[in-house]
Amino acid sequence: MARKLRWIAVIILLAPALRAEAIPAFARKYGMSCTACHVAWPIFNQEGQNFRDNGYQFGLGKDDPVTISPAYWPVAMRTTPAYQFTRTTNQPSDQGPITVQSGGVPLPPGVDILTAGTIAKDISFLLVVAGFGPDGLASVESAFARFDNLLGSNWLNLKIGKFEMDEPASAHRGATLTYGYAVYGAHPQGSLVPFDMGENQVGIEIDGHDARSATRYALSLTSVNGGEVLSGRESGNGWSSPMVYGHVQQAFETGSPVLPWVRVGVLGGIGWWPTSFVTDGGNPIPGTYGDHKRLTRAGAEVSWLMGNAATPLFFTVAYQHGTEAAGLAEPGTIDPATGIDLSTVSNSFDGGFAELDWVPFAESSYNSVPWLLFARYDGVRFQRGTGNVDGGTIGARRYLALGPRASAAIHLEYHYDRTKGVGADGPSGTPLDVTTQALLVGVDFDF
Amino acid sequence: MKRTLALTLPAAIAALAGTAFATPAVPDAAARGRKAFDRYCISCHGVDGDGRGPSAEWLDPRPRVLTSGTFKFRSTPSGELPTDKDLHQTIANGLHHTQMPRWSPITGQERSDLVQYVKSLSPRFEKEPQGNPIAIPPQPAFTAELVKNGQDLYGKMGCANCHGDTGKGDGSSAPTLRDDWGYSITPRDFTSGPLKVGDEPRDLFKAFMTGLNGSPMPSFAESITPEQSWALVAYVRSLRKP
Repeated sequence: MARKLRWIAVIILLAPALRAEAIPAFARKYGMSCTACHVAWPIFNQEGQNFRDNGYQFGLGKDDPVTISPAYWPVAMRTTPAYQFTRTTNQPSDQGPITVQSGGVPLPPGVDILTAGTIAKDISFLLVVAGFGPDGLASVESAFARFDNLLGSNWLNLKIGKFEMDEPASAHRGATLTYGYAVYGAHPQGSLVPFDMGENQVGIEIDGHDARSATRYALSLTSVNGGEVLSGRESGNGWSSPMVYGHVQQAFETGSPVLPWVRVGVLGGIGWWPTSFVTDGGNPIPGTYGDHKRLTRAGAEVSWLMGNAATPLFFTVAYQHGTEAAGLAEPGTIDPATGIDLSTVSNSFDGGFAELDWVPFAESSYNSVPWLLFARYDGVRFQRGTGNVDGGTIGARRYLALGPRASAAIHLEYHYDRTKGVGADGPSGTPLDVTTQALLVGVDFDF
Repeated sequence: MKRTLALTLPAAIAALAGTAFATPAVPDAAARGRKAFDRYCISCHGVDGDGRGPSAEWLDPRPRVLTSGTFKFRSTPSGELPTDKDLHQTIANGLHHTQMPRWSPITGQERSDLVQYVKSLSPRFEKEPQGNPIAIPPQPAFTAELVKNGQDLYGKMGCANCHGDTGKGDGSSAPTLRDDWGYSITPRDFTSGPLKVGDEPRDLFKAFMTGLNGSPMPSFAESITPEQSWALVAYVRSLRKP
């Protein structure tokens, strides 16, 4: 059981981030380059953020389907054929700790099919079906309807469905393709809770913003489990494990050519996860949940541009503190350091990330942003138990096309992380650290 | 001392003469603006600002040919160059019923730099002074009498030839209209939505008194008084369907 839990811990902490949303259907609709709305695809700039906040509308009479060519079809696809090599140390085996290495090109490489746009003024939608990889499976990654400018105010908009919660940095629009933000999916050792901020959640969101999206807020009521049955310990009902989550951001323009723009934000969330079920043959019966325990998230972030805003050094630093109440760890989960059964005590973690995305220069061509260089540090520290993680990711994207019809980029990325005490038992009987390295080389197509 | 005089004399002369001197783009700002232009603008306006970006052919109306120095939406008299503020407003507010979005979310510095870069694209800004904004007298109350006066003027000035008897933009000349670059151009439908440049009565007043350079819409500054222009505004606004 402990061995299984270690694997789960590694998987949850280091869930691959090979998913993203970038919608060239909008570029086609408006005739604009990707760079109009993205620092470098897929990372939003302020124009893109405002467009999204407005329910995929620029609001000048050219948004409604009836105002555009009947030939326009709001569909986009993304696929990333890539070679990925992964090396993970200290994995348990019958022969003792081993290093597992794997590498290859998934064929087919998987496809995200995205459709999004406006149905009528102030009514919009997004549907993302992702998958179609070697296993042939596909799933609905996002599906929501959005109603904007309720009561005539851009401070009141409603989103309902499965969507990405408003985050300090979007897990779906990040530059990295190997591993996501570790703190988003962090849980203490033995946690029963699968909640991952970086995954889309099912629920409703009320949000609002000023005309430039300098001031923004989002308040959501979602399901901690994403509305999906993951382990049989939840009902699959979107409301059996609720979370209330809020995020507020404020951007400041400094007028300085060195530091033209700074944005700060705070977030908080409180959720509840069931810990008791009626069982049948020892297995939980879905829908019989009870005895909810509390988990919380609180955090703050600051992001800023340096240099020319059109060719920025874009920094984001985010911090989060999370708690999980006693009872939210698997009974019998022992902290190797203290011998405490972690299911009997509350636990917490502190973590965050620091990210730099750099567009070194612009070219006077239709591929105006030819390069994106990126680097990120992730760190998480737990109050009790194992799983402290430090990781780093660096990479470069060479854009081959960033036009108003489609995009393509050669993507090179290297990731390294070390997770404390989640590996196979060492000679002294204590779990070893696990290091993971990943190298990805591929081509990211968006069309 | 001589050096100081040499530096200040042209500035003093320029100040005395108002904007009688050309005010070309500020090089540093234009260089920064070029980067923003590459990022935001070239898919429609083209790499060289000639209005021939890859999306241009699919856009109606066509993107502005920035190299010409001919701008529809200005506060300055017909034929003259726009002010920096005019260009800034077009960038910040966008243009209704076109694919030109609001660029207000980007930084003010970027917008200001874009203004300078747009000026650098046309030799006119090197040679000619930018115009002075026309005077806009206070807006009168839009009484029934003023609307009636405006309706009379609408007929008398031949507005219906292009904009139609009911203001729907379906006048007898409408199908034949071309802009300065030979592209078909549709007269404004006054019965729905805001003007491209804005929705305030003063925006209409400006359009009547400055004309829209590069389009068949002339300036009426020489043929009607400001009072009559307000009457036209009152009538045209009355055509708007709720």
